[in-house]
Amino acid sequence: MTNEPVILTHCLTKSYGTAKAVRALNLSVEGNRITAFLGRNGAGKSTTIKMLLGMIRPTSGSATMLGKQIIDAEGNRELRKHVAYVAEDKPLYGYMTVEQTIRFASSFYPDWRSDVEKKLLRDYELPLHRKVKALSKGMRTKLALLLAFARRPDLLILDEPSEGLDPVGIEYLLQVLVAQAAEGVSVFFSSHQIAEVERVADHVCILEKGCLLVDASLDQLRQSYRRIDLVFASVPPERDFHISGVERIQTHGREMSVFASRNAEAIIARARDLEAVSVEVAPVGLRDIFLETVKEN
Amino acid sequence: MLWYKAWLETRARFLTSLATLTIFCGVFVHHAVYVACSNTFPCAEGWIRPGRQAEFYRLLVVTQEFVVLMWVMAVVLLGMGGIVREKALGTASLTLSLPVSRTRLMRVRVGLGVLEAIALAVLPWATVFGVSWVARMPVLITQVGLYVLLLIGGGLVYFATAVLVSSVVAGEYTAPALAFGVVLLTAIMFDAWLRRFNVWRLVTGDYSIDRNTYLLSEHLPWLGIVASLSTAGLILLASVVVVQRRDF
Repeated sequence: MTNEPVILTHCLTKSYGTAKAVRALNLSVEGNRITAFLGRNGAGKSTTIKMLLGMIRPTSGSATMLGKQIIDAEGNRELRKHVAYVAEDKPLYGYMTVEQTIRFASSFYPDWRSDVEKKLLRDYELPLHRKVKALSKGMRTKLALLLAFARRPDLLILDEPSEGLDPVGIEYLLQVLVAQAAEGVSVFFSSHQIAEVERVADHVCILEKGCLLVDASLDQLRQSYRRIDLVFASVPPERDFHISGVERIQTHGREMSVFASRNAEAIIARARDLEAVSVEVAPVGLRDIFLETVKEN
Repeated sequence: MLWYKAWLETRARFLTSLATLTIFCGVFVHHAVYVACSNTFPCAEGWIRPGRQAEFYRLLVVTQEFVVLMWVMAVVLLGMGGIVREKALGTASLTLSLPVSRTRLMRVRVGLGVLEAIALAVLPWATVFGVSWVARMPVLITQVGLYVLLLIGGGLVYFATAVLVSSVVAGEYTAPALAFGVVLLTAIMFDAWLRRFNVWRLVTGDYSIDRNTYLLSEHLPWLGIVASLSTAGLILLASVVVVQRRDF
């Protein structure tokens, strides 16, 4: 793998009439790591992924994936040899059996890993001769993941991979994701399960209404985001805290809660200048960062 | 494997249509032999009462008319499906994430559909020949060949129309309903205003039949067949362009 971004978009936009699903997205996903793509329903995550895979034509902007332009049909077909994608609804052909589905998918990938296929078949306990339409949702998810993991991709794109899995399945999935990343596979996945993201992701991108709001490593986010709870002798003036890095201020009488994306030291210093009675600084989890980010917008 | 997938998707429609057409042809020609031979069934050593041969071939013309009706219904149904339908079913993202171009997906689907349409023309008429031969009143093999040629050469435009409709409309019922509507409407409109260019009449043999012997003339309307096949090609090309430009 090179150090070039595996996904690079420049002002990527998709409009449906007057509605913009994705707005001038500038995204850079580095290789050899797990990148989480977060956002509310309708934020534009799936549209972005579908544009990258050539299923949807961008209205404007450009993008490359694994170094190839996505809008070039032949280039996109070529890059799909090296990308495994599991869509949100885990689409599979209901009229095929599990075995037929695996044979069908494997025929398109010369590097198909039979060892991974066998291992996952055993671990997931998938019934080879059962029709896909007769599988439970969890089984379908497992089959879709098997098809993705066994094709030896350079880039793994997963849209809500844990949906439909029980806790044991989720645990196993996360382990496999980490193992894939350790083998040099770049993982780009969207999820609403922030606890899972927090466990495995190296990098986080948050999309809201088609705009990229956060693009940082998880460590950076953990280090820079802070919740600062302040208590004053009298009702504090909010405007004194309108400084760089402050994302949100909530005031209840003499108490003030400041949510900051950076610059916590400056905020604390300002609080002390204003003679705060109590100053409490707490690190913020990804869940709160996500909620505050999308709430604000 | 794309061919295998296309086969799995269409086999129920194809086999049902094939069975229906073949059984119909077998039963109908059996009836035609009975009518032609009157009370001497089976005809002794190919002997046919005077004037009965034309009656027999007239019934074959009627057979072709029914075969055309059923064949067109079958190929319209075979033209349904494809990636637009898959979008409605939710499997399009799996198919389109494969390292395969949309053109190739269409090529495979059309290729298998054409092969099935040919089989739906050849096997029922082979049954006509077989049953008539067993009844010692064999239909001329050239007549069988001409009927099949008219059916495929003229009729593939209906399959192409169905493919185009299914590339635009995704609904399980709306797509075939629209395709049947287009077929019916064009047949009626051409019959009313452009009778000489009516594909339906071309396929049934209406332009080629000798009204005395009820045999197809060997001077087939080649121009009509070529025009029909060219139109089918253009419609299929339009379908490919539509699918290439669509968002999924």
